[in-house]
Amino acid sequence: MLSFVLRRLGQSGVLVLIMSILVFVGMYVVSDPVAVLASDDFTEEDRIALASELGVDRPLMVQYFSFLSNMVRGDFGTSFVYNKPVLPLIVERLPATLEVAFLAIGIGLCVGVPLGIYSGLNRKRKSTKTISFLTTVGYSIPNFWQALLLILVFAVWLKVLPASGRGDTTMLFGIELSFFNVDGLRHMLLPAINLAIYKICMQTRLARSGTQEVMFQDYMTFARAKGIPRPRLIRRHLLRNIMIPIVTITGLELGGLIAFSTVTETVFSWPGIGKLLLDSIHHADRPVVVAYLILIVMMFVVINFVVDVLYALLDPRIRYT
Amino acid sequence: MKKTLTTLAAAAALMVGGGAQAEVLRMAYSSAPRSVDPYPFGGATTAGYKEHIYEALVGHDDQPLLSTGWTWNSPTSLTVHLREGVSFHNGEPFTARDVVYSACRMMFKIDDKRNLLTSSMGPLTDVVAEGDHAVRFETKNPYPLWIQKMKFLSILSASGGDVPDGPITYDATGDCGITAYPTRDDFENGDAAIGTGPFKHVSFAKEFAVMERNDDYWGEASKWEGVEISSVSNSGARFAGLLAGDYDLIENPTNEDITALDGDDDFDFSGKPAWRTMFVVLDVNAEGAPGVTAADGSAPLANAKVRHAMSLAINRDAITDRLFGGNATPANQYAPSYRAGAPEMPALEYDADKAKALLAEAGYPDGFTLQFNAPSDRYPNGTRVAQALAQYWSRIGITVELNTQPWSVFAKARRAREMGAFFYGWGHPQGPAQMISFAFATRDKDLGLGSSNYSNYSSEAFDAAIKAWAVETDAAKADEHVGNAMRAAMADMPGIPVYYTHSLWAHRADLTVDGRQDERTSAFMVSYK
Repeated sequence: MLSFVLRRLGQSGVLVLIMSILVFVGMYVVSDPVAVLASDDFTEEDRIALASELGVDRPLMVQYFSFLSNMVRGDFGTSFVYNKPVLPLIVERLPATLEVAFLAIGIGLCVGVPLGIYSGLNRKRKSTKTISFLTTVGYSIPNFWQALLLILVFAVWLKVLPASGRGDTTMLFGIELSFFNVDGLRHMLLPAINLAIYKICMQTRLARSGTQEVMFQDYMTFARAKGIPRPRLIRRHLLRNIMIPIVTITGLELGGLIAFSTVTETVFSWPGIGKLLLDSIHHADRPVVVAYLILIVMMFVVINFVVDVLYALLDPRIRYT
Repeated sequence: MKKTLTTLAAAAALMVGGGAQAEVLRMAYSSAPRSVDPYPFGGATTAGYKEHIYEALVGHDDQPLLSTGWTWNSPTSLTVHLREGVSFHNGEPFTARDVVYSACRMMFKIDDKRNLLTSSMGPLTDVVAEGDHAVRFETKNPYPLWIQKMKFLSILSASGGDVPDGPITYDATGDCGITAYPTRDDFENGDAAIGTGPFKHVSFAKEFAVMERNDDYWGEASKWEGVEISSVSNSGARFAGLLAGDYDLIENPTNEDITALDGDDDFDFSGKPAWRTMFVVLDVNAEGAPGVTAADGSAPLANAKVRHAMSLAINRDAITDRLFGGNATPANQYAPSYRAGAPEMPALEYDADKAKALLAEAGYPDGFTLQFNAPSDRYPNGTRVAQALAQYWSRIGITVELNTQPWSVFAKARRAREMGAFFYGWGHPQGPAQMISFAFATRDKDLGLGSSNYSNYSSEAFDAAIKAWAVETDAAKADEHVGNAMRAAMADMPGIPVYYTHSLWAHRADLTVDGRQDERTSAFMVSYK
């Protein structure tokens, strides 16, 4: 297990390094922070001075290595746009994103898995066909359009949920949370549903195909023959066996939700990190974009690691040496 | 008796609208204010937010605000007379010392980074308090533009704990003997967000700002008890938020939104011609321009006839009517024709045949190839206008290759002068000559002219007029110079003015919006019908 962890750490280090080079060089080539920040009434002298204060007048290699040596010391630099250290900027927006991501994943699992098992067990029923049709639709709707549709239906026509923003929050351990607050929850619901629809469809399909496969296994036939009651059969024998792909996908999807729910956050004006990323790309705020993506790489590494450990817990045959 | 009155008032309120009218105005901006600290950032959004809290010596309408007037001692020395009886949100009286302090703070580099508004300070060399109610500004060169620039110098209270007692002496580093300036956090948590404005800071976090009325405001207090500003960058979501009742007013609705409001009883929209000219910048360099090629290897854009032909080819009325539904004004010069001080100019002609003939006369009967660049995410309808322009030019035989790209990429190419022809919008908060002085003057470091001359234009007549304007402290004479400069530039056409944008707001139908021309959105312009 220890060597497995060490190997993983080594790989992650290389990954982070490659990522930092790609993003840093990409942002350098594409945009010029001085051109974005300086208004039209800047004189050329002001622009040159600004470039030197931001440190963007130095050669690319020098800029990159100074960034790298700072990063090793835990300093991700200062945002060009907000003039604030990058790390707190990202961290203070993280809870908002995490909350919605977990809620969306939760909805996805709680709705998707039962639906999938139901469809897998009752393949011939009309309701199964309807579920299958709906998941195809849910898969294919562009996230962006779906978000606007949700706003139109629930906020504009029915007027039951707010269209955007975060609403009231509750402070818990110094973190602002919407979960424990009725207004906050109401604001959270639409973005979470928007993210969850795709997840529901995916979990339904995964659970259904898993169920169909497992139900015809010999051990299931045997268990049935032995007279194990159906609820126990589903819980003990079916669910456990279909969980491995579901856990893998959930882990990766959680990462995806945290890292790239930019569209949903933008449409709902949800003050999370996805919106920050998009705004920062717009403003050529390189330190934020680079730090953000590096943190995301690190997060994926951790999630994958957790997923691997969960495998071992779910399937005793898997051992890491 | 008092109780009876209250009851009556409550009953009346109930009868009027089925409930009391909300007294907090909820507005949705299209982008986020960047800071509570008034100096680090400019831009209409940040400026619109902060003018609720802070005021400057000169107001948005070029009229005295925290001042009562000014006198020129000499072309390089201006005395501004301060308004008396004004106090800050913390109760401290407003005096000349606060102005000096604010000027110091503007110049001071926090973490070795300049405030982006520092460029507004121009050639300022000294700020001196003359008693409690007058301040003298000294500049290196004659700098009449300072009257306009004073709008950017938001006045902060010099009463913080780190400001030593007694007079403050200005110096260009902003050090001024002040031990420590408030930090960004001090502003965001409200400790340092102390101005003289009609609203007080309550909170500002992650793009959501809350303010409450300043009941001791020196002018007429606002009718709104409070203001909430959200920022919703996605236009569809912003509009949906209005319809859902999350906001009372949103800025920058799209044309489609406005069409959708047609016949709606609950919501309405208001517009106001704004101080922004949308124009095409042409690189008139005689040695050729990037992305512009002619069969004979010559530089077509260097020929004024070609530039006039390109202007003649554009049907400006069609653009403003069809693409903007009338919510834009055809341009006839570089500054908005309705900007105070802009000269009278004739409308620009549309005649495709004449354009073709002129192009042939210039030596390009078969046209030439032009790469035309436009930012895709910067201006409302910008991409569609760029497409329309490309089509108009194609009709007179120019082969146009349209290249639209995100603003951050576009801005880099512009600064690197990689574009021979591009679409651009220039605001005019500092008067009608501001843009042409930067965009078309031959570079002059001392007078700060020509720093954004991407046209590579240079004309003696124009330079003479703009230089005369740059040092003229007499307003009437300055306007005359602006007229001369404008006419000289329009005759040569180093850029093609297309239209002036309008600011638009969509809002609840029971509100009226008395919009402003400076593209800002503020609670002062909104009231109940």
